[in-house]
Amino acid sequence: MINIALPKGRLGEKVYKLFAAAGYEFAGMLDNSRRLVFENKELDMRCFWVKPFDVPVYVERGTADIGAAGKDILMERSPDVYELLDLKAGACRMAVAARNDFREDTEKILRVATEFPNIARSYYSGLGREIDIITLRGSLELAPVLGLSDVIVDIVETGTTLRENNLSVLTYIADLSARLIANKAAYKFKGEVIDEIMRRLER
Amino acid sequence: MLDIRLRPEEKAALTLRSLYEGRGFAFYRMSRFEEYDFYADKKDFLTSKRILTFTDTNGKLMALRPDVTLSIVRHAKNLSGVQKFYYDEKVYRVPKNSDSFREISQAGIECVGALTGENIREVLELALLSLKTVAEGRKFVLDVAHAGMVAELLKDNRDRQAILKCIAEKNIHGLKALGAPGKIIDLMETDAKIFSVLDGDTANIINSLGEYHDELRVDFSAVSNLNYYNGLVFRGFIEGIPEGILSGGQYDGLMKLMNREDTRAIGFAVYLDLVGSETND
Repeated sequence: MINIALPKGRLGEKVYKLFAAAGYEFAGMLDNSRRLVFENKELDMRCFWVKPFDVPVYVERGTADIGAAGKDILMERSPDVYELLDLKAGACRMAVAARNDFREDTEKILRVATEFPNIARSYYSGLGREIDIITLRGSLELAPVLGLSDVIVDIVETGTTLRENNLSVLTYIADLSARLIANKAAYKFKGEVIDEIMRRLER
Repeated sequence: MLDIRLRPEEKAALTLRSLYEGRGFAFYRMSRFEEYDFYADKKDFLTSKRILTFTDTNGKLMALRPDVTLSIVRHAKNLSGVQKFYYDEKVYRVPKNSDSFREISQAGIECVGALTGENIREVLELALLSLKTVAEGRKFVLDVAHAGMVAELLKDNRDRQAILKCIAEKNIHGLKALGAPGKIIDLMETDAKIFSVLDGDTANIINSLGEYHDELRVDFSAVSNLNYYNGLVFRGFIEGIPEGILSGGQYDGLMKLMNREDTRAIGFAVYLDLVGSETND
């Protein structure tokens, strides 16, 4: 039995379509029901929806053998798992953005608003810059507009939201997309099946 | 014989002790506390950098042992010949992805001195036997690799840390994006049964362990910490246990740090807390 954790939401649906196209279908996965666990007895596989941020936890602890998680979440949580494949779904970038008229004052501690405190911390510690992290749960664009922070570290897809709020990107930190991850121990004993899933998804 | 029901990890610990004892390894019992200074300059050789400290009555800063290897090596380094010790101890660490200290049970062996190929072979064989003992009939695997080969390929590479992270993750697309040396990618993609990619001495040792060829695999994702290990590295897994249960390798660098450049060291630890942590499948 192979257990697969997929992130609930838009990215997860894209990834599930990749799985289905590769021959791994689970009846009812895309119905709008409240069911969370789906089994395909023929394939001897089970698939479940979990909160996107939790996928690495399920995989690291072995409840799921494999899973799909955004690179942003993997960078933020740094789980001890294998990252086997770039699924290329949901491509976007992690960026630092600020108001169009922003000028950095290097004499002051930089106030950084983000949903990804670990990514922000590691980026700025690499630059040797002292920062004050303000962890928010969404609508990051508001923070520099209202003066809560100097910059934001956030996911940028098209940049439309930034433009509409008179913000612009200062630097890109990383390229993001969904990745196929595997539990290290599970890979030792179910490696052949997992490799086959990988090969079929890669096509 | 005492009539007492043992918990799975206790039984595993006793079985391992009798295995090591039978091979002529001596039991090492360490004190619970060491002076903090002893660990402070050897942090590269600690799994977790955080140490539980307290002030002794005489004002000295003390540490609850975060590790056993360092103490055994300090004890063994000035003895002559090849020293063989085993231990069964609790250590105090902050586990990865946790923010509080925990007491962790470990058993393992250390072999210190002018090591020969035969010593290294014996340690590897005991790693396999330890897994077999704890597995109790379940499947097990010992991944082997060579840290020195990776260190050589990454010499002066400015992306060294990022490349090492990708190696531990089997992240081939990440290695390619970083422009990692082609030879590293070749090593990662090698068939697990081609032992000849390892250096000659190591390959010979592995070939001599013929009865374990199903369990032994070449897997360079076992290389993660080049500051600690410099030669053979290995990591053991048992079916149903969600993380690696055995970890070890050759760590001559620690001997250098202790001013014994002529001496080599190899050993491994078995994480007993994981015995009985099976996932239901």
